[in-house]
Amino acid sequence: MNFPVRLAFRHVFSNKTRNGLTILAITIAVFLLCFLLAVVRGIDAGVRSASSTRLVTQSAVSLFVTLPMSYRPKIDAQEAVTVASEFRWFGGYYQDPSNFFPQFAVNKDRFVDMYVKDFEIIEGPNGITGPGARDAVKKAFATEKRAAIIGMGLRDDEKYNFQIGDTVPIIPAIYQRADGGAWDYVIVGIFKPLKARIPDKIMYFRSDYLNDSIESGEAFGEVAAGVYYVNIDQGSQAEMIATSIDQDFLNGPQRTQTVTEAAFASFFVSAIGNLPLFLGTVGGAVLFSIFFSVVNAMLIAGRQRLKEAGILQALGFPPITSCLLLIIEGLAVALIGGALGLALAISTQDLVVLNFGDSIRNYEIDSGLILLAIGTSSVLGITAGLCAGIPFLRYRPTEALRSLG
Amino acid sequence: MSQDSYIQLKSVSKKYSRGGEDLIVLDQLDLNIPDGDYAALMGPSGSGKTTILNLVGGLDVPDSGTVTVAETEVSSIPTRQLPAWRARHVGFVFQSFNLLPVLTAHENVMLPLQLTPLSAAERKKQADFALEIVGLSDRAGHRPSQLSGGQEQRVAIARAIATDPDVIIADEPTGDLDRNSADEILELLNRLNEELGKTILMVTHDPAAASNARRILKLDKGHLVSDEINRQASGQTQGEA
Repeated sequence: MNFPVRLAFRHVFSNKTRNGLTILAITIAVFLLCFLLAVVRGIDAGVRSASSTRLVTQSAVSLFVTLPMSYRPKIDAQEAVTVASEFRWFGGYYQDPSNFFPQFAVNKDRFVDMYVKDFEIIEGPNGITGPGARDAVKKAFATEKRAAIIGMGLRDDEKYNFQIGDTVPIIPAIYQRADGGAWDYVIVGIFKPLKARIPDKIMYFRSDYLNDSIESGEAFGEVAAGVYYVNIDQGSQAEMIATSIDQDFLNGPQRTQTVTEAAFASFFVSAIGNLPLFLGTVGGAVLFSIFFSVVNAMLIAGRQRLKEAGILQALGFPPITSCLLLIIEGLAVALIGGALGLALAISTQDLVVLNFGDSIRNYEIDSGLILLAIGTSSVLGITAGLCAGIPFLRYRPTEALRSLG
Repeated sequence: MSQDSYIQLKSVSKKYSRGGEDLIVLDQLDLNIPDGDYAALMGPSGSGKTTILNLVGGLDVPDSGTVTVAETEVSSIPTRQLPAWRARHVGFVFQSFNLLPVLTAHENVMLPLQLTPLSAAERKKQADFALEIVGLSDRAGHRPSQLSGGQEQRVAIARAIATDPDVIIADEPTGDLDRNSADEILELLNRLNEELGKTILMVTHDPAAASNARRILKLDKGHLVSDEINRQASGQTQGEA
C-alpha cells in the first residue's frame, strides 16, 4: 500500500475512541439522510409516475363534495377524451380499523381498460394467469356485481391473504348498510402495479354496487360518482381539455375543477404540508451538524499531528504530505461511517417497508441514493481533512517540531 | 568557501521576534567544518546552537549571511525545494527521538527512503541494512512504544543514515537517555563518523557526550567563543577561536 495511505489508515485505527465516535456520528447521519431521502423520493415517485394522458375532474368546491353520475356522458363527449370513469372513495376497513387499505368504487365497464399501462393483471378467475388474465378479469368484473380487483399486496400480506374467489367483508366508515353489516366483495382479479403511485394494497369495486344499494335503501348515502378519472389522447393539450370540461359544468349543478393526474397527486402531498421540503431540511440539518462535528474531530487530529508534520518535513517530505495525510484520514473516516450508514439503510429497507410500507410508499434505497451517500461522505471527509490540513502548509518545520503534538 | 570546509557559515545573523522584541540569536557568525568532521556544539540555552543546526539542515533560513553545505548554498535554495535537498543531504537525530508512534521501527526507517528513486525491494534492503548497523534487526517489527529510549534513538539514527546523507545533525541525541544508553548512542555516532565517514554536527549540554567529538565548538550569545580540537578524540589540540 502507498505510504501516505498506509500511514493515514494507521492514524484512523490508532485513536479508536475519537475516530470510532466520529464514524458512529457519520453512520447515523448517512442512515438518516438515506432514510429521509428515500421517503421524499417515494413521495416524488408517486407524483412523477402520474400519467400525462389522464385528467381528474373533481368538484370546484372541495374534494369531499362528490360529482353527480350524470356528468360522465358530457365528459365522454369532449374531444380527445378516450374514456372516463367515476372514482369514489369508500374508506372502509377489514375486520379491524387498523387493517386499513384504500378502496375505490369505479366503473365496471371502463376501469380495467383505463389502467392498461398502470397495472398488470396477474391472476384472474379460475386460476387464470398470463396474457388472458386481463380479459377474464374484465369480464368477471362486468358480470359479478360484488366483484373487486385487488393489488397483489393484499394477497401476499399474511394479515389479509385475499385470494381469487374469496368473499371479503369490508366494514364501512361512510356508507353504512341498513342492516348494520359489512359490504361483501368477491375477489375476481389481482394486479401488480406498474407505476409507483399505485399502491399494491388497494381495492377497486363496482360503483353501481354502491349506488344501487343506496338507491334501493340497503345502504345510506348519496348516489354519486365521486370524482372522474379521464383518459385523453396521447399528444393532446391536457390543459385545454381540462378548461373545456370545466366550462361545460360552469353553470352547475356542481362546478368542476379539472387537473392533470400529477397535479392531483401533488395536492395530496401538499395537503400534509410541504413534506419533501421538511424532510429534506431535517436531513440537511443533520448532515450539516455532523459536518461540523467531523471537522472538529479532524482539527483535533490535525493539532496532534503537528509534530509529525515537522518530523516529516525534516525528513524531506514537502508540507503538502501532512495535509494529504489528513485528507486521506478524513476521507477514510467519512467513507467508513458512510458505508456503515448505507449498509444500515439497505439492511433495514425490508423492515421499513414491512412496518411502514402503507405510510411510506415506494421506499427504496436505490443506486442513486447509494451514490449520493458515497458522494456526500466523500465530500464531508475531504472537506474536514482540508480544514485540518491546510494550516500545515503554513507551518515552518522548526515551528512544527517545537509543538507538543 | 575555504579549501576544506564542508559546512560553512559566513557572517550569519538570525533573530527571532518574541513578545514584540527582537532577540538576536546569531550575530555575524563564521563557522567552518571540514568533510568527515565530528563537531560538538556547546553553550548555554539561547546561545544559538539549535539555530545553527536548523540553518545547516535547511529547516530555517538566515536573516543575513550564507550557509553552505557540500558546496551548495543552502540559504539560497528556494523554500519549496528545501525538503528535497534535506532528503538527499541531511539526516536528523532529535533529542526526543521523534519516531512516528504508529509505525514500526522498520517502517520508521523506511520513511525517508520513500523519497528516493529506489525500488520497494531496494528500500527494504537499505532499511534492513540501517537497522543492522544500529544493531536492531531483531526489533524491526516493534513499534516505538515497545522499545526502550536507547533503542528508539538507535532507530532514529538508522532512519537518519538510511538514505546515506552527507551530514548527520544531532540535537541533544543523549539528552533523554540514561548514561548506559547515552554511551551506546555516542559509540554509534563515533562509528558512523569513523567507519562510514559521516560529517556529524551535534548539539549537546553534556561534556561527556562532547568528549566523543573531534571538535568542540562553544557558543555564547550568538558568537563562537571557542573552537577546540578534542585531544581525547583526535590526539591533537588547536588554539582558541
